[in-house]
Amino acid sequence: MALLQAQTRRHFLRSLGGGLGTLFVGTSVAKYAGAANGTGRSEVSTLDFTRDASSPLAALPPQFAAKVRRVIYLHMAGAPSQLELFEHKPDLKRLDGQDCPASFLAGKRFAFISGVPKLLGSQYPFHQVGQSGQWISDRLPHLERHVDDLCFIKSMRTEQFNHAPAQLLVHTGNARLGYASLGSWVLYGLGTENQNLPGFIVLLSGGKSPDGGKQLWSSGFLPSVYQGVQCRSHGEPVLYLDNPAGVSRPLRRRMLDAIDQINQQTYAAFGNPETVTRIAQYEMAFRMQMDATDAMDIRNEPESVRAMYGSKPGESSFANNCLVARRLAERGVRFIQLYHWGWDSHGADAKEALNLGFTDRCREVDQPTSALLADLKQRGLLEDTLLVWGGEFGRTPMRENRNGQEMKYVGRDHNPGAFTIWMAGGGVKPGMTHGQTDEMGYEIVKDPVEIRDLHATMLYLLGFDHHKLNYSFEGLEQKLTSVKPARVVAEVLA
Amino acid sequence: MTLWGYRVSRQLRSSIIVLAPILIVLVLLVFFPPDGNERSKGAQFIGRFHPLVVHFPIALFLLVPVLELAGLDSRLSHLRLSAGFVLGLATVGAIVAAILGWCLARSGGYSGPILTQHMWGGISLTAVCWLCWMLRGSADQPGGRLLYATALATGVVLVGWTGYRGGQLSEGEDHLTEYMPVGLRHSLGLSDAGPAIASSGANTFYGARVEPIFATRCFTCHGPHRHKANLRLDSYSSLMRGGKRGLVVRAGNAQGSELFRRITLPPDHDDFMPKAGRRPLSAGQVKLIELWIASGASGTLPTDAIKEATAGLTSPTLASEVTFEEIDAAAVIRRQAQIAPELARLQKRFPNILEYESRSSADLHLNASILGSKFGDSDLAALSSLAEHITVADFSRTTITDRSVTAIAAMKRLRVLRLMHTGIPTPPWKGYAFWINSSR
Repeated sequence: MALLQAQTRRHFLRSLGGGLGTLFVGTSVAKYAGAANGTGRSEVSTLDFTRDASSPLAALPPQFAAKVRRVIYLHMAGAPSQLELFEHKPDLKRLDGQDCPASFLAGKRFAFISGVPKLLGSQYPFHQVGQSGQWISDRLPHLERHVDDLCFIKSMRTEQFNHAPAQLLVHTGNARLGYASLGSWVLYGLGTENQNLPGFIVLLSGGKSPDGGKQLWSSGFLPSVYQGVQCRSHGEPVLYLDNPAGVSRPLRRRMLDAIDQINQQTYAAFGNPETVTRIAQYEMAFRMQMDATDAMDIRNEPESVRAMYGSKPGESSFANNCLVARRLAERGVRFIQLYHWGWDSHGADAKEALNLGFTDRCREVDQPTSALLADLKQRGLLEDTLLVWGGEFGRTPMRENRNGQEMKYVGRDHNPGAFTIWMAGGGVKPGMTHGQTDEMGYEIVKDPVEIRDLHATMLYLLGFDHHKLNYSFEGLEQKLTSVKPARVVAEVLA
Repeated sequence: MTLWGYRVSRQLRSSIIVLAPILIVLVLLVFFPPDGNERSKGAQFIGRFHPLVVHFPIALFLLVPVLELAGLDSRLSHLRLSAGFVLGLATVGAIVAAILGWCLARSGGYSGPILTQHMWGGISLTAVCWLCWMLRGSADQPGGRLLYATALATGVVLVGWTGYRGGQLSEGEDHLTEYMPVGLRHSLGLSDAGPAIASSGANTFYGARVEPIFATRCFTCHGPHRHKANLRLDSYSSLMRGGKRGLVVRAGNAQGSELFRRITLPPDHDDFMPKAGRRPLSAGQVKLIELWIASGASGTLPTDAIKEATAGLTSPTLASEVTFEEIDAAAVIRRQAQIAPELARLQKRFPNILEYESRSSADLHLNASILGSKFGDSDLAALSSLAEHITVADFSRTTITDRSVTAIAAMKRLRVLRLMHTGIPTPPWKGYAFWINSSR
């Protein structure tokens, strides 16, 4: 009778659902088991990433001795023009203003270019810098001093020519929704050293959020405890992290203990790993109350360091985020993802123009990025940190002519066929350039690097064979590099 | 019972019947030897049972001396009664194994000295098995016991030798010595170096640039020990001689060379090499081979004779394919087991910052830097029990002082040490610089 009384309508309905679910699982598991036998993939040995349920972020050793322990990924959302920054193409400059040859347009699909556009030479002068003799434009006066620490890949290629899917591809290895991001994979594979901070932190720089949205740091099919935690640049790093007025830390502790008990009961009843995730998140938030606020507070930095980055406490800026990134790296955060925005230089308005807004974007990232490099280096962190800078695709050597007409401002359209990124840090060959594009900077002529190759290379530096970092989902051993063959770009390895 | 008018024992008669298939195998081996050509898949399928089946006669044969010796004790004398039966079974098993072995070798494209030795070892063993069986029947005649014992002993030695050669065929030539402890290797007079790679000399283009590609990518099947398709790539002369379908390299004509055609096909093509899902040759390797064939496929061309090969395709690019070694999980666990309990204890005190350097290593990685001011000299001292296993240590921004210098010096295998922004100023380290350098 007591049992009947405890059995509410909701419990009854829930158990019905559970029954159906069990039926479904029963059939689908049998199906997957059959599929697995049929494909004969049983020889694929998988690494064990299971952890104690109470500490899903516990550190695990890499598969092989790793070159780097953590990653700082600087994503320039909107796709910065390589032709105004790193790709010196004198022939393009010479042909500036001439009609684009038909061979450039045949079979191509553009976001906005229509008819016959004009070729567009670089808007800024280039010069050679450093021991490596790298060509660089005059828009990055700070970064050019560090050019011998950078490893450029000028032959990056993508399959997507619109921002959101291209950003998804860069971040998750797949242009569709629902896949796990790079940071989530790394956190899943390696855990994190500092349990008082999230292991995968995302910082936006004000302005516009990336078109790909929160999916870019989603854990996809991985347990959600591995998703990126988006932190704010000022105030509480995470909203409502601090205790509200009248709630003391011991009271908060007692509250969490009670919630924890209830969650444990739910977990015992249903065994859903997401319940464990929730318990772990509450506990982490409690620990974060002490450490996160301190880690994110750049007012604790000396004035000289803040000046080096050009950061001003209280702003949402890329400069502040670079400084925070160094503080997080120091504290053992595994994957730090920074976004800058506004690089989509179509020339549709002044903000998006290569001759106007682009210069502001360069100024916003130049000094902080250089300061981050120098600061990591002086603290010995660059040796085991991987720094990656890049957008989601490149830009055309043709001037954009929206609706077939010359536009008021100068801009370029999307070019998925070639773009430039750079890496720096442990395990990467400094002061080198890998890959090459044609004289117009339009197509790759040497050593193309796919997004999945970049991912395989990053995982290699972190100590993984990209085939072996996988997670069983929907009958497939899912992996970041997906199903097409990916290659570790061995040429850039130190 | 009589045979050709003579009275023979029943055992002798069955022995003679068994001799027939042994002679048939012998004829097969002599007139249809394994020659490195691949043949029928059906025969290969049957042949693949050779490693499985071969263990039965081995076990049965080795059981015979055990039974005979144990039977010398009067309390166990009944054991000797079954020795003849076991020997008979072993002989039949050996014949079956020999036939299967011939199927595998003849149709699976095996050849080479190790195979030949294994093959003759196997057939000799079968014959010795049969001989033992014969001799056992007449062991009551004068000298019969001694003959029988000698034959048994010969058989036991042959089992060991043939088994070792078989192991070399399936597990690699150095399968017994590969993971041998260093001390034992030295006492046996073996070097530490890996398997030697055949080389035609580093001062020719072929020897310095082309053959190393074959050595790393092709020798497994077309090398000293296996000659699939009757093709060997381990010397210039054998390469130019070609395989069962004729020449594989046509000097000056890369596109018309079978070898070049096969390495440039789409990887899922049936004729593609390297076969069976192995990693294709890198673009640089393919280019080098193409340049070499186009230039006349000479064996004496100097190393730097082909200009394009030295400009674009530098050697580091060639060596730059990344390979992932397989982790031998059992071996790693064995090595880690020695320190696992102590590590578990210390990991409780320093969670998430003290870990194995990788899943394939028993070396430790310590990152104390994230504890910052919470990590001091006393904490470092607590790590002393595992000091020798720590190879990477980061103490940056901790509060350790020069009191910890000896504790760090105890980390004898340290490769990487970071001491930025600690209480250890640079000058006192001068005295210790020698071991930091020497351990790097």
